[in-house]
Amino acid sequence: MKIKKYTTILRAGMLDMFQWRMSLFITFLGNIVYLVVIYNLWQAIYASSPYDTVNGMTFTDTMLYLVLAMTIFNMTETYVVGSMGRHIQDGSMILNLIKPMEYRTITFFEILGADIISFCMIFVPTFIIVSIITGFAIPLGVNLLLFLPALLFARVISYYIDFFVGTICLYTESTWGINMAKEVLVLLMSGAVIPLAFFPDWLRQVAEFLPFQAIYNIPLQIMLGQVTTFETLPMFGVQLFWIGVMYVISGVFWKQSIKTITINGG
Amino acid sequence: MQKNNNTKPVISLKGLHKEFKTLNRREGLKGGLLDLFSRNYKTVKAVNGLSFDIQPGEIVGLLGPNGAGKSTAIKMMSGVLKPSGGEILVNGVIPYNNRIKNAQNIGVVFGQRSQLWWALPLVESLKLLKDIYMIEDKHYNQMFDLYKTILGASESENGGEECRLDSLLKKPVRQMSLGQRTLSDILASFLHNPKVVFLDEPTIGLDVMMKAKIRELVLELNRIRNTTVILTTHDIGDVDALCERVIIIDKGAILYDNSLDNLKSFFGAYRTLKIKYNKDEEWVDFLINEDESSVMDKLAEIEKTNKIADIKIEEISTESVIKKIYEGEVKSS
Repeated sequence: MKIKKYTTILRAGMLDMFQWRMSLFITFLGNIVYLVVIYNLWQAIYASSPYDTVNGMTFTDTMLYLVLAMTIFNMTETYVVGSMGRHIQDGSMILNLIKPMEYRTITFFEILGADIISFCMIFVPTFIIVSIITGFAIPLGVNLLLFLPALLFARVISYYIDFFVGTICLYTESTWGINMAKEVLVLLMSGAVIPLAFFPDWLRQVAEFLPFQAIYNIPLQIMLGQVTTFETLPMFGVQLFWIGVMYVISGVFWKQSIKTITINGG
Repeated sequence: MQKNNNTKPVISLKGLHKEFKTLNRREGLKGGLLDLFSRNYKTVKAVNGLSFDIQPGEIVGLLGPNGAGKSTAIKMMSGVLKPSGGEILVNGVIPYNNRIKNAQNIGVVFGQRSQLWWALPLVESLKLLKDIYMIEDKHYNQMFDLYKTILGASESENGGEECRLDSLLKKPVRQMSLGQRTLSDILASFLHNPKVVFLDEPTIGLDVMMKAKIRELVLELNRIRNTTVILTTHDIGDVDALCERVIIIDKGAILYDNSLDNLKSFFGAYRTLKIKYNKDEEWVDFLINEDESSVMDKLAEIEKTNKIADIKIEEISTESVIKKIYEGEVKSS
């Protein structure tokens, strides 16, 4: 019956997400606007180049990559840090600490539930629209099947990073600045705003040794069919490696930090 | 005074301590700037050598002025905070070292916060808790029946709708009145049949009717399920209605730990003599300790110098006894 604990929280996360349907709709619209901006920006970049392919990516590749990266961003960079910060600031963290479960686990399944909804309501429609606009440039095959576990793993890595950053808030008691710094770092180093292929060599090498590229670059390369099925295996390996590392780091950091906290209020 | 001295206590505290380091912030803009570079911490003793045993099934009022260390004590008993020193055992486990195991056996209600899922109807929250605490179907249904009897029973005299279980269940928590929300939180905290429930100011901000309803609910659940209840409150009405035993703490240490009856009789020698010198004037109060001088003596003394239009004698209330203890006017032994 143990698994039921987790599925039930996942379900609550999903139910909760449905309470905010306007927000879902507006995020979807935002994606479409972003698509238009990206389309024009990168068309200009490609127009200034004498070749159709820049850094091994065609215009369509780049556009698909960036729009889908933004969609994943909207889905995964949710409110972990923000909500942890709020729990810490207003003292409601205590309500999570009196439940017979680990806080990190409760929050993870809540967020996963919300993600499943935003995957269906935001990612899938955006994917379909992008496919139509680009004349079905995304291969529809085994790459899509492999993309799903890659996306899940990416979500887990990004969750543990967020949880780590959220834990810092136990000390600073404020989140906004830290969260912004984290988002800029993640967005840049993961290749979510500029594909890694466009990075200078040295920066790309740095990026490849960081966990962030496993969040966007790996799932997107797999989905866009830029790698063969066989090549995806080591990519999963990299993702699982980072899951392991971040699981341990965020867990230890949290355990140490929670000992020193004072809970606000009352 | 503890009932059933031969049973094992459900909660046992021995010389519990908790110290916090707090930042001494300097004043003003310049002070704030200085704080960025050098910080000056001071140590605050929130709980300072707390010892008591609580037997299964007791309802104990944990009282004390704001900042006395009540909430800190509760947080240590619920395993959220680690004590700086001393021992705690709750249901035979050390809460801080076995937070999750301890959480399974306790329920906590904070009058100012809700543990329920904000956007979800109450019934969904209860279902979630059922799974999180791994409550068996049979027990879950039993508790539901029990809640229905308690909340449905006095439906007519308590204005019906507001507190009825079926109308609460469908309502999202964020749309509830404060009273309904507190009621729901109490239902949620008893759901997994915990051995101990901590109620931290459960009636804060509620109207008279709702307070009565909540007291009735807690009393019934304590009676039927033999749940131990630790109650902190500033409402003496709660104490009078629920507690047989009160523990009064201030500055982290115990001032009084005995039965509520004893508290009143212990200080029962105090009476308030109210006198009106003229019919149209206000009442003038004299607090008299009958161990030292009688009311009659005082009256005689006043009559020597003044004309008395009217007199009244009042027994001291629990509230004024407790106020006196807080103020340090009377020492309890």
